[in-house]
Amino acid sequence: MENQFPDSRSQQRAGYFPVTGAHLYTVLHEVKDPVARVLLVGPFASERHNAYLPWVRWARYLAAENIEVLRYDYRGVGESTGVFEHMTFADWSEDVRLLYAWLADRAPHVPVLLHGVGVGAILAARAFDEGLGDGLLLWSPPANANQALRATLMRWVGLEQIFKFGRDQKSAADYIRELEQGSPLEVDGYSWSRDLWRDSMRFTLPAALAGEESAALAYKRPVRIVKLTSDAAPLAKGGRVGYDDLKDFTWLFAPNRDWIVAVASQSSRGVAYA
Amino acid sequence: MRDAVGDRELIALDGLGIRLQGTYHLPADRQSGEPTEPANLDRVGVLFVNSLSMPRAASGDSAVRWAEAIANQGYPSFRIDLPGLGDSEGEASIDLLDIVNAGGFASVAAAAAGQLVKRFGLSGVVFFGHCAGAVSALYAGAASGDCKGLILLDPYFYVPLVERPRVRQRLSDWARSSRVGRRASNLYDRIRNFSSVLRGSALPANANGQLLARWKQVASTGLPILLLKAPGIKAQGSKPRLGEFDYIDHVVNLAGRKKSIAVEFVESADHSFANCEGREAVEQHIAGWLAANFPLPDFKFSTERIGRLGASENRDHSGKSQEAPADRFCAMGGR
Repeated sequence: MENQFPDSRSQQRAGYFPVTGAHLYTVLHEVKDPVARVLLVGPFASERHNAYLPWVRWARYLAAENIEVLRYDYRGVGESTGVFEHMTFADWSEDVRLLYAWLADRAPHVPVLLHGVGVGAILAARAFDEGLGDGLLLWSPPANANQALRATLMRWVGLEQIFKFGRDQKSAADYIRELEQGSPLEVDGYSWSRDLWRDSMRFTLPAALAGEESAALAYKRPVRIVKLTSDAAPLAKGGRVGYDDLKDFTWLFAPNRDWIVAVASQSSRGVAYA
Repeated sequence: MRDAVGDRELIALDGLGIRLQGTYHLPADRQSGEPTEPANLDRVGVLFVNSLSMPRAASGDSAVRWAEAIANQGYPSFRIDLPGLGDSEGEASIDLLDIVNAGGFASVAAAAAGQLVKRFGLSGVVFFGHCAGAVSALYAGAASGDCKGLILLDPYFYVPLVERPRVRQRLSDWARSSRVGRRASNLYDRIRNFSSVLRGSALPANANGQLLARWKQVASTGLPILLLKAPGIKAQGSKPRLGEFDYIDHVVNLAGRKKSIAVEFVESADHSFANCEGREAVEQHIAGWLAANFPLPDFKFSTERIGRLGASENRDHSGKSQEAPADRFCAMGGR
């Protein structure tokens, strides 16, 4: 099979990282003398599976460009241990803080950036808002986590309706009503509780990160916000479900890599950002 | 970072031309939290392979739960990412579905099984696959001298279209959402049924002859095979939709007199088998099948486990079809 992004300069190391009551599955794309390090905060729950291939490719692409990358699975999701239903946004926020600390502690010291997509963008943004990270790259950050959950729900309902006819078809509003009344809803194999649904409404993107200009003023650290279109599916909504993950994403990766390299260069030279 | 926690351990398979990443679930009587190599387990292991481009955890992390359940029953289980998939090295091709359908992963999966047998002292391997993964598992089983059995979830024996024509997709949407559409769909099914009656037992034009040949090769030897089937769109219980060719019936007959095939209809599942009820039903079917075909006389079952095995024996074969949601990452595209 052709290797589109040769990974010769990096070594991929999978491991388990201990957190309270669980272990996070992590993959470090290790680089010998990196120009920067990036913590990737990936797609949430079932979105992880849909977007896994482009997400791994993105990590390898960066590593091949001398940028060390750490990616991981959320607590209770994928290869990480823990029970998804027991997890909260506070747990997933703690994951980001702990992994950031671990990555930032690695030698040699180079700029460390946070990067997230979807719910991961909110998690990365909130960590950045707490003062972590020399730069922040957001792909399609929703205003709150509920927006992302709704988008996942809409897609799940659409697929579920393939097997149902007429009156047997339930709308997204029906499912949301049941969820709000306290019935857990299983979406793509993950059980969503009423608490998760309610918490997701309160789990918001920091106000200053609504736009790059307001972010620059507020944080004095570089922020890039990219709204992905359906061309970027499955990293974004839309597209041809189930097949788009195999396509070439260089058009998306290249400008974002350039931005990371520029941030790392400025940060290393101590260039003030305003 | 650790390589092992509790009952699971990360493994890498080298020497196959490409490094494969996987997770090993330690059998319950060996779960010490420490790496067990070198080991001489002297029992069969269950090897999961990817379903199309899904990572090795599979839809809703169902493969993680099944692998854990199997390990709790005493059988080591391994989930590996095939080349270019999940965390394994390589780059998946845009023609992934065609590669799977042509058995493109057979040799590497068979070689991986060989390595695991050697490294963990296994008596053999049961390949486990779902949908496109079942196709890969079947090809791998035919290519591997270490294969002792197959667990296949919703395998398909035809060559599916990579992408459905848009007009056809819209017609399907219309048929589902309107009364007139439903009648038109039923009429279409009857016409297809009429033509299938005329065709007799002849295979449809898009049957995957190469895969059917591999099936015959392995199934006719008496290799234990567990075949689990979820309800399909407009299916009639375990039988396919009116007018569709009954591949399961065909392959069971194709296997000949020595066959050892258990076909189970998992009424509560959707095609992904990732929904809670479906997942648990699969777990129970597998537990019973493994215990019957690969007994572990020295392994102590827990009381809870025995209770669950008992429950699985009372299977519902009522034949009622329950409508179920699709798996978005399905090679059959939810058809």
